[in-house]
Amino acid sequence: MSYPKPQQESIIKIERLFVRYGRSEILHDVSMEIPKGLFLPFMGPNGAGKTTLLRTILGLIRPSAGKVLKTFHPSDLGYVPQQRSIDNLYPVTAGQIVMMGLYPELGPWRRPNREQKERLNRLMEELGLNGHAGKAFGELSGGMKQKVLIARALVAEPEVLVMDEPTSELDEQSERDVLHKLSTLCEKRGKTVLLAHHGLDMKAAPTSTVCRVDHGSVRLVQSKNEPEPDGRGGNP
Amino acid sequence: MTDSLKTLILFFPHAVAAGVAISVVCTLLGVFTILKNVVFVGVALSEVAACGIALGMTWHIQPFVGAVALTAAAVAALSYPFEMHRIPRDAVLGVIFVFASALGILVVSKSGFGLHEVKGLLYGDLILTSQGDLNVILAVLVPVLIYFLCFMRPTLYTFLDRESAKIMGIRTALWEFLYFFALGLTVSAASKAAGAILIFCFLVVAPAAGLLLSRRLGWVMLISLCGGLGSTFVGFYWSFRCDLPVNQAISVTACIWFGVAATVRFIQWMASRLSACMKQRR
Repeated sequence: MSYPKPQQESIIKIERLFVRYGRSEILHDVSMEIPKGLFLPFMGPNGAGKTTLLRTILGLIRPSAGKVLKTFHPSDLGYVPQQRSIDNLYPVTAGQIVMMGLYPELGPWRRPNREQKERLNRLMEELGLNGHAGKAFGELSGGMKQKVLIARALVAEPEVLVMDEPTSELDEQSERDVLHKLSTLCEKRGKTVLLAHHGLDMKAAPTSTVCRVDHGSVRLVQSKNEPEPDGRGGNP
Repeated sequence: MTDSLKTLILFFPHAVAAGVAISVVCTLLGVFTILKNVVFVGVALSEVAACGIALGMTWHIQPFVGAVALTAAAVAALSYPFEMHRIPRDAVLGVIFVFASALGILVVSKSGFGLHEVKGLLYGDLILTSQGDLNVILAVLVPVLIYFLCFMRPTLYTFLDRESAKIMGIRTALWEFLYFFALGLTVSAASKAAGAILIFCFLVVAPAAGLLLSRRLGWVMLISLCGGLGSTFVGFYWSFRCDLPVNQAISVTACIWFGVAATVRFIQWMASRLSACMKQRR
C-alpha cells in the first residue's frame, strides 16, 4: 500500500493500527495521516469503530499493535464527549463545566484571571449559552448540555479538537450552526477538528473530505460522492 | 439547651471535639462519595477498619495501625477502575464488606474480649473518647481536611468526567487513589470512637440532605457541613437529656434532618409544578 505525500503538514499520523476488544477486532490495519487544519468527520454505522478510532487517537485506548504519532503537545488537545458522560446528579453549573476546560492553565488552585473570564464569556455568548452559566448542568436540555461541552473543549483554544457525536442532541439549525462554527475554526485559525458522526447530512457538512469507518476498515473519501482524494491514507 | 451543651463540653471535651472533627471531615468527603456513586464504600471501610482494630487488639498492636493497614489494602483494591471491567465497583465493595465483617467477628470470637469490648468495637461510643483517641483523630483528620480543600478541583474533575479530565492532563488514577486513601484514613481514625453506623451516617445522611436542598456544589457542602454539625450537637444534647447512647442519638437526629430536607424539596417540587401549570393555563 502506498501513500501519496500529504500536501500539508500532518498533525496526526496513524501507522498500521490494530485494536481488539477480547477476541473481536475493532480496527484492522489502519494507516492514515491527518493534515493540520482539516475538518474531518468520521462517518459510519453504529459499531463501525468510529469512537474506538477517536479514543485511540486521544490515548484512551491502547492499541493491540501499531502507533499513533502526534506532532502537538498533549495539552493542545480538546475533547467533547457524548453529553451522557456527565451524571446529572452533580451539583455543578454550566459555567463551572466550561471552566473545567481551563484546568491546564489554572491547575488545582488558581482562579481565572480577567482575560480567561472574558474568553469564557465570549465563547458562551458565541455558542448561545448566554444566561445559562449559572444554571445547573443537569437541568439543561440535551442540546444545551452538548453546547456546554463544546464550549469546555474550545475555551482552552486547543490545536486539535476531537468530538464524539457532538451534535447528536441538537436540532437541525443548531447542528448547522455548530458545524459552521467548527469549520470556521479550521479555516480561520488552522485548528484541526475530528468528529465521530453517524448521521451527518453530507450536503450540510462543511467539508470536502470525510473519513469512512466501516467494520474496522478506514478510508478517506471526498464528500458529495466525489471520487476518493489523492490518498492521505486508508487501508487495503 | 445551651447550659446542657456547656456541661457536656465541660465534662466530655474529648467526645465533643471528636464528634465535631469527624462530622466535618466525613460530611465533606461524603458529598463526593455520593456523587461518585460509591455510597457503600463508607460502610465497607468502617467494617474493614473495625476488623483491623480487632486484629490489632488481638495481636497486641496499636488498634489504629491495624485499622490503617487493612483499610489501605481495601482502598488500593477499590481505587482500581472497575467501570471498565466485567464487575462493577459495588460488587467488589460487597465482597470486602462481607469478608471484613465476618473476619472481624471470627477474630473477636477467638479472643478473650468481653461483651463490652465487642459492642464498643462494632458500634463505637463517642462519649468514651479519650485524650489518646482524640490525638489520633485530629492527627489524621486535620491533614485530610487540608488535602481535601486544597485538591478539591482535580478530585471533582476526576469524578465528574474521568476521560476528559485525563485528556486535560489530570492524573485521574492518582487523585482517585488519594481520595479513597484519605477516606480510608478518616474511617480508620474515627472507627474506634464513632463506630460503623455513625461514620456511615456522616458520610451519607448529611450530604444527601445537602444534595436535596441545592444544585450548587458550594452550597451543598455548606448545607451538609451544617447538617452534620447540627446533628452532632442536637444528638449530644438529646443523649445527655434522655440518657441515650450518643452515637445512635446523633444518627437518628441526622436522619430526621434528612426527612426535613426531603419534605422541603418535595414542597419546592410541588410549587414549581403548580407554577408551571398556572403558566400553561394563562
